[in-house]
Amino acid sequence: MTRKWARVGLIALTVSLGLGSIAEAAGVLTIGRREDGTTFDPIATAQNVDFWVFSNVYDVLVRVDKTGTKLEPGLAESWDISQDGLTYTFHLRDANFSDGTPITAEDAAFTLLRIRDNELSLWSDSYSVIDTAEATDAKTLVVTLKTASAPFLSTMAMPAVSVVSKAGMESMGEEAYAEKPIASGAFTVEEWRRGDRVILKKNPEFWEADRVSLDGVEWISVPDDNSRMLSVQAGELDAAIFVPFSRVEELKKDPNLKVSADPSTREDHLLLNHEHEPLNDPKVREALDYAIDKQAIIDTVTFGQAQVANSYIPAGALYHNDANLLRPYDPEKAKALLAEAGAEGVTLDYVVNAGNEVDEQIAVLLQQQLAGAGVTVNLQKMDPSMTWDMLLNGEYDLSVMYWTNDILDPDQKTTFVLGHDVNMNYMTRYQNDEVKQLVADARLEMDAAKREAMYMKIQELSKADTHWIDLYYSPFINVSRANIEGFTQNPLGRFFLEDTVKN
Amino acid sequence: MQIGRRPMLGFGLALLAGALLVALAAPLIAPFDPIFQDGTMRLQPPSLAHLFGTDNFGRDVLSRVIWGARIDLQIAVLGVVFPFLIGTAIGTLAGFFGGWVDAVLMRIIDVILAFPFLVLMLSIIAILGPGLKSFFIAMALVGWVSYARLIRAQILVLKTQDFAVAAESLGFSRMRIMFRHLLPNALAGSLVFVMSDAVLVLLGGAAISYIGLGVQPPVAEWGVMVAEGQAFVTTAWWITVFPGLAIVLLAFGFSLVGDALGDLLGVRE
Repeated sequence: MTRKWARVGLIALTVSLGLGSIAEAAGVLTIGRREDGTTFDPIATAQNVDFWVFSNVYDVLVRVDKTGTKLEPGLAESWDISQDGLTYTFHLRDANFSDGTPITAEDAAFTLLRIRDNELSLWSDSYSVIDTAEATDAKTLVVTLKTASAPFLSTMAMPAVSVVSKAGMESMGEEAYAEKPIASGAFTVEEWRRGDRVILKKNPEFWEADRVSLDGVEWISVPDDNSRMLSVQAGELDAAIFVPFSRVEELKKDPNLKVSADPSTREDHLLLNHEHEPLNDPKVREALDYAIDKQAIIDTVTFGQAQVANSYIPAGALYHNDANLLRPYDPEKAKALLAEAGAEGVTLDYVVNAGNEVDEQIAVLLQQQLAGAGVTVNLQKMDPSMTWDMLLNGEYDLSVMYWTNDILDPDQKTTFVLGHDVNMNYMTRYQNDEVKQLVADARLEMDAAKREAMYMKIQELSKADTHWIDLYYSPFINVSRANIEGFTQNPLGRFFLEDTVKN
Repeated sequence: MQIGRRPMLGFGLALLAGALLVALAAPLIAPFDPIFQDGTMRLQPPSLAHLFGTDNFGRDVLSRVIWGARIDLQIAVLGVVFPFLIGTAIGTLAGFFGGWVDAVLMRIIDVILAFPFLVLMLSIIAILGPGLKSFFIAMALVGWVSYARLIRAQILVLKTQDFAVAAESLGFSRMRIMFRHLLPNALAGSLVFVMSDAVLVLLGGAAISYIGLGVQPPVAEWGVMVAEGQAFVTTAWWITVFPGLAIVLLAFGFSLVGDALGDLLGVRE
């Protein structure tokens, strides 16, 4: 008798425990991605894999909204800008770190000076405009700039300036903090199994904690595209990012899945090395632009899920020039231009990232298209760890790369690509002093209308020079189970997991 | 040799002969240009017009498999011939002369064997630049060690046997003893190994191309085709399955011939 009851009790216990764990698991969102992150120190990385998780774990002073077009208050409730544009006063809201301590202006000042001065920072240049950052009281941060800077406020929204705890950083040390940080955002890092997954738990101290419905999030790395998709189809994962273009149609047919294509700021382009003959001749670069059938690339590589690019500033992003020149596919005109430039029968070396499906496909297509204009292309498949150095050292003629914006303002990308700043204008060795001056002037111009006009001009001039060849704008394509709601990205890549619901 | 009594040998030889025939006749039998892209015919399943279907660029998979036979046979044959020749020569010298010649050669082999095979291959190719030529050179530089060790062991055994001692006492030259008397008897094991090595080289070539250091696009090679079709394996199986089958059949052919040769020559692996 007693034994029988003991058994019943045991079963009841097991069932209730089982149910308990199911109920708990129901609130955890599992997301498959290609690779694991590298750090939780915001300043020590420039990679999307890290940035996208930072936005779940940290908050910033100023946020970018869901449409990716406006700035909105984050940890700073409001801000004032002095008449001369040199002094920014941020008023912080009442908010706590995950360890329960208040987030103060002191922490915010520490964060800004750290990204400017710390040796680990990959972003020192972008924040060198900051002269001083001081907390005048617990909730007021005053930042003074060396020069006026139109994009400054946008740079306050970048995940690299996620607000970190000064006391925490000092007591734990930078290395430990980068491993298991003190959170200022919607989730805390419960566990990081390097190379496998990041386990996040809801942060009850988050100032918007009632907005968060999920109990936790797991970012799981599943490098193989096919297995990642199969895991979502089988229900082992709730969602997966980086859906290959080739799989979209098939996944859309599955009633258990939702496939989303969120507008992004990604732009794919063909880099041209202006230092190599005959690419130093603008006519030859123009000819190559005419020789490339961008729509065919979109049809073949992205299965129609992209838009032909006409400017280095992507469609939908701030100051995109919709009327910018778009050279149509015209192999005859390309041949004529090449003949004019005396560059018929030219042979070019094209560096391809081996193992990158999209890169390899574009390469094979471009090789055939350029052959149509009499240009011979030698493909050199290289390990991705080597290609970046080859491009930097100028050991290439052609190579395809892409860029996604980190901030709302076009200044960051423009400076890297056309501002004659670092990396030889994104490895192209492009030289145009008029453009260089305009980029510098646009950074200082505080009048939005005048600034917009300057950016239109920059886009026209750089297109006329064919500084590189714009190929296409593609969306972020993600897939989730039908019971997941609000799993979306804004054009800068930020996931709004605080609004994601698992039914 | 009585092939009739050895159906597996016959089958293996038939596979190899078939591959050779396809490779030689590629321009005649391939229905399409293997690198021609037809944007309107992308990812077509197998049909009468395209027996093996088309790939994501609209290229005919059958034609690519046929042309690929040329490259893959070349890989299997050249990737084995050079190591075989070099290894045989060095192994014979080491085994016959012994002493310091043997010691030096064996230490060189030890050094090469100390590195993992693929790592050494990759570093040599990385220095020479990607491409098939580099692959063959790397194969020749790295692959000979197995042959040298096989031959050396055989020669060491053979040179103490009666016929060798008799030849020596008859005053035959060293060259004559080495190449007319010892080597032919020592070769059996290597010949069998050649066949299984061809399979490994074939797969190695495919692996090297897979990571971008071997055959460069748009040239059709079976390993590359499998790698490129991987992305479409759930939606367009024909891009990977047919070149994959081709690799399997050619490898199978080499294995069968190798096995049968081993039986015939009385070699146990």
